[in-house]
Amino acid sequence: MLASRPQEGRGFLAAWRHADHALIVAAMAVAALGTLVVFSATRHRLKAQGLAETSTVSKQVLFVVVGLAVMLLITFVDYRNLRPLAPYLFIGTVVMLLAVVPLGTNVKGTQARFDLGPFQFQPSEWAKIAVVICVAAFCAQFRGQLTGGQIIGVLLLSAVPIGLIYEQPDLGTALVFMAILLGVLAVGGARPRHLAFLAALAVTAVVVVLQLGVLKAYQLDRLGAFLDQQDSAQRVAYDVNPAKYNLNQSKIAIGSGGITGKGLFKGTQTNLAYVPEQSTDFVFTVIGEELGLMGSALLIGLFGFIVWRIWRAAATARDLFGTLVCVGVLCMFVFQIFENMGMTMGIMPITGIPLPFVSYGGSSTLAAFAGLGLVLNVGMRRFS
Amino acid sequence: MPDAQGSAHLRLTIVGIVVLSLFAALTSRAIYLQVMDSSAFQVQARENRVRVVFEPAPRGRILDRNDQVIVDNRVANVITLSRDSAVKNPAVIDRLAALLHIDAQTIKARATDVRFSPYTPIPIVDEASEEAIVYVREHQDDFPGVEASRAAERSYPHGTLAAHLVGYVGKASQEELDARKGGNYQPGDEIGKGGVELAYEPWLRGTPGETRLEVDSGDRIVRTLFHRDPVPGHDVRLTIDLNVQTATEAALQRAMNAAHGSFDRNARKSFVAPGGAAVVMDPRDGSIRAIASYPNFDPASFVGGISTEQFKALSAPEAHAPLNDRAIGGEYAPGSTFKLATAIAALDTHLLDPRTTVVDTGKYTLKNCLGDRCVFHNAGNEAHGPVNITKAITVSSDVFFYGLGAQFWNGRATYGDAIQKEARALGLGTKTGIALIGEHAGRVPDPASRLAAHNANPKAFPNGGWRTGDNINLSIGQGEVLVTPLQLAQAYSAFAAGGKRFVPRVASDALTMTPNGPKIVATFDAKPIDSVALNGEVVQPIVAGLEGVVSDPRGTAVNAFAGFPLSQFPVAGKTGTAQVRGKQDTALFAAYAPADNPQWAVSVILEEAGFGGSVAAPVARRLFDAAFGLTRANTADVVASGID
Repeated sequence: MLASRPQEGRGFLAAWRHADHALIVAAMAVAALGTLVVFSATRHRLKAQGLAETSTVSKQVLFVVVGLAVMLLITFVDYRNLRPLAPYLFIGTVVMLLAVVPLGTNVKGTQARFDLGPFQFQPSEWAKIAVVICVAAFCAQFRGQLTGGQIIGVLLLSAVPIGLIYEQPDLGTALVFMAILLGVLAVGGARPRHLAFLAALAVTAVVVVLQLGVLKAYQLDRLGAFLDQQDSAQRVAYDVNPAKYNLNQSKIAIGSGGITGKGLFKGTQTNLAYVPEQSTDFVFTVIGEELGLMGSALLIGLFGFIVWRIWRAAATARDLFGTLVCVGVLCMFVFQIFENMGMTMGIMPITGIPLPFVSYGGSSTLAAFAGLGLVLNVGMRRFS
Repeated sequence: MPDAQGSAHLRLTIVGIVVLSLFAALTSRAIYLQVMDSSAFQVQARENRVRVVFEPAPRGRILDRNDQVIVDNRVANVITLSRDSAVKNPAVIDRLAALLHIDAQTIKARATDVRFSPYTPIPIVDEASEEAIVYVREHQDDFPGVEASRAAERSYPHGTLAAHLVGYVGKASQEELDARKGGNYQPGDEIGKGGVELAYEPWLRGTPGETRLEVDSGDRIVRTLFHRDPVPGHDVRLTIDLNVQTATEAALQRAMNAAHGSFDRNARKSFVAPGGAAVVMDPRDGSIRAIASYPNFDPASFVGGISTEQFKALSAPEAHAPLNDRAIGGEYAPGSTFKLATAIAALDTHLLDPRTTVVDTGKYTLKNCLGDRCVFHNAGNEAHGPVNITKAITVSSDVFFYGLGAQFWNGRATYGDAIQKEARALGLGTKTGIALIGEHAGRVPDPASRLAAHNANPKAFPNGGWRTGDNINLSIGQGEVLVTPLQLAQAYSAFAAGGKRFVPRVASDALTMTPNGPKIVATFDAKPIDSVALNGEVVQPIVAGLEGVVSDPRGTAVNAFAGFPLSQFPVAGKTGTAQVRGKQDTALFAAYAPADNPQWAVSVILEEAGFGGSVAAPVARRLFDAAFGLTRANTADVVASGID
C-alpha cells in the first residue's frame, strides 16, 4: 500500500474515501448562510433601483456552485504534482497582476479587476492561492531549517506580488499575504530569532508608515474611526467621515441584534440600507442584526470547525509541503475571518477584506473554495 | 527527519493557540456587543430609522364673559428649512436670505439653534409674503429642504386691549422646556409667557399632532408608522367684560393724559404720571370685570418672535417698564383709602362711638410729646370743624383718624394691633391668589414686623421700635403700608359684600367648540376666603361716609361724580392722595356701586398724578358709566377738581 503510487484516476477514488467530508459540509453550511444574508442585504437595495430582488444572490449561488466545482477539480490532481509548477504559477500571477494595471477596470478607486462582461475577475484573490503554493514549495525544500538568507529570498520574491497589490491599492489583501508568509515561515522552520526580527521589522514599518504620513486620507479616517470609538453614540453623517459612519452603523446593526436577532429579513439597519458595503465587506452585520448572538456564535463555531480541520490536515500531512500548504490556507482564512469580523465589531481597523464563503463576490468565493480544495487534497492523500 | 517533524508539530501547536485566542476575542466581542451593550444599540437603531414629526395644535382662543373674542388665531405663511439640507446645500441659505431680505448669518444661527430638533423643519420666517411663498414653490429645485406652509398664530382683534391680562406667547426657552419635560413640548413650540396665556397654558395648548416616519439611510420616507392629528386647545372664557375693560383703559389713558397736563404746585412742574392701574371686581364672587395697567404693550409684537432690543424696550425703566402689570404687581401707599380699615377697627372694637364728634382744627398735636414730629396736619392744612366718623370719611379728615391711631396705640394692651388685623381681614398684606404670575403681596407693618426687620438687618432698619407716630401714620395709610391695585379692589369688594372675600378670578371656564355649540370642559369656580362678618353698626356709619364722598357737597370726589345718577346707582367710594418721599403724590380712588346692592367694586391708582379726587375718581366715574350702560344723554361729563 505504501510502496507504489497508484495511477491518478483510481488513486483519486481511493484517496477520496479519506477526504474530510465534514469540512466540506461545514464550508457548504457557511456558504448557504452566506447566500441567505447576501440576499437579505441586497434585495431592498436592488428593488429600490428597479432590479430583481434576486439578481445579486443568484450570482452568488452560481459562484458557490462553481467554487465547489473548482474545489473538486483541485482535489483531483495530487498536490505533490503542483510542486514543480510553483515557478510557473508565480510568474503567471505576477503577469496577471501587472496586466490588471493597464487592462483592468477601476472600481471604487481600486485598479484590481478585469471586466468580463457580467462578471469580474480579481487576480489578487487568485494570487493568494498561488502564493500559498509557491511559498510552501520554496520553504519545503529546506526540510524545516530556514536560514536567514532563505527567509530574505522568500520575502524578496513575495514582495513583488504584495507590492503590486498594495499599489492597486488594496492594503487589506496585501496584509493577507503577510499573514500567509508569517505562518508558512514560522511552521516551515524559520528560527525564533529570525521571526522575532521579522516581528520587530513589522512594528518598525508600521511606526515609520504612520510617521511619514504616506497613508491616504481614507486610511487615516479608517484608523481614526477605529481608535476613537468613545463617541459612537453620536450619529456621524456619512459625508463627514465615511469610515466612522460605517463602523458606527455596523456596530449598531450587530449590537441591536441582541441574543436572538430581529429575524431573518427583518433587520431594520439592513432593510433600510444603513450599513454601506453590506453584502461584501460588512456582510457579518446582517448575521449579527437578523440572527443575533445565536447567528454570530453559529458562524464563529462553523469557522472554528473549518479552521480546526485545516489545522488537523496540516498536522497529519504526509510531507512538509502538504503541511505548509495547509498552514498557508489556514493563515489566509484566519486572518480574513478575524480582520473582517473584527472590523465590523470595532476591534480591528477597517480594511476591505471579504469574509470567506459569506461575502458576495466571485473571485473571493472561488479563491476560498480553491484554498479548501488544496487542504482537502493534502488531507485525503495523507496515507498515499 | 524526526527533529524537523517534531519542531513542525510544536510550531503548529503555537499557531493553533494563536488561532484559538483570536476566535475567543471574536466571540467575547460579539457577546459584549450583542448582550451587554445591546439595549443601547437597539435605541440607536430605532433612532436611526424613526423620525418623529410634530405638528403644533392651534391654541384655544381667549374670550370675554360674553364670548367676545379677545385673542384669536389666524393662519400665517411660514417658511421652514430642514437642517439636514441646510448642511448639505449651504447655498440654499444664501438664496433664502436674498429672497426673504434677511441676513444669511441670522438663518445660519437659526439652523444651528439646538432648541430645534434636527428632524423638524426650522421656522425661518413666520410672515412670508405671498410672492416669496409662490417663488419657493415654483423653484423647489433651487430650495431643497425649504418648505412654505401655513400655521396658526395669535392675533389680537382688539389690539392692545387687556394686554397685561391676556399676556403673550413666544417660542419656549430651554428653561421652559426643561420645566415641562414629559409634557409633550418640543423645541420651537409656542408657550404662554405671561398673563392668561401662561396661567391657563394647560387648557389653551392643545395636543400636538405626531407622525412617526420610518426613513432609510438616505432619509427617504419608507412608511408612516404612526399618525395622530393635532387636537386644538380649549377656549378660555374670562370673567372680563369687554365693554367695561375698554372703558377702563380709555379712562385710565385719559386720566394719565390729564395728569401730564396739570401743574403740581408742590413740585413746581407737571405731574410725571409714569404709570397707573385700575381693577374692577364683582364683590359677589371675586370675578375680575376689568383690569388695566398703564403703560401697556402690544401682545402682537411677540408673534413670531420679538427682537432683543424690542423686548428690552418693553422692560426699560426709562419707558416705565410697560411689561410690568401694575394692577397685580405695583405696590403703593394707600393713603386715605386705607381709612376703611382704621374705621372698621375703631367701630368693631368699640374704641369709637359712631356719634363721637371731634373738632378738626386742621392739625393734631401729640400729647406728652417732645421734639419736632409732634404735630400732624391735614392735607393742605384745611380745618374741617366738628366731624364724626361718617363726616370724617366724607371730607377725609386726617385729624380725626390721627386721634384713632393714637388711641389704638395707647390702648394697645386692650386692642392689640387692631388696625392691622382689620387691614389683613380685608386681604391687604398678602397675595390675593389670583391665577396670574407676577402678583406682589404689599405690606401691612406692625411692631413685630418692624422689630423683625431691624433684627435681621440693623443697618438698613436702624429703628426697631414702634411709636405713637407710626400708628398715626398707619391710620391714614401712610408710612410703610403698601397695597396693590388688586388688593385695594378686593378690600372694598369684601367690605361691600359684608365681609365676604373671594380669590380674584379672571376666568370662569374652559370650553371646546363642537358642532353642537360650545361644550364646557372645566369650570373655575369662585373661591371664598375666610370671611369676617361685619355687623350693621360697624358698616352703616362707614357706608354713609363713603356715599358722602361722591354725593356730599364737601365730599372729596363730589366733582368727579357730578351729574352721575346717584339716586339710581348710589356709589360708595374713598379718595386717597398718598405722599411718597421724593416723588409726587399718588392718586387713589376705591369704590363700589350700587351701594345698596354692590355689583361693581373699583380701585384706581395713578403714580405721581396728584389728588385722588381729581384724577383717580374720574376714572372710576367713567367706568361706572360704562358698567351701568350710561351714555352722555343720562350722565354728565366729569369735572376734575378736588382736594383730599
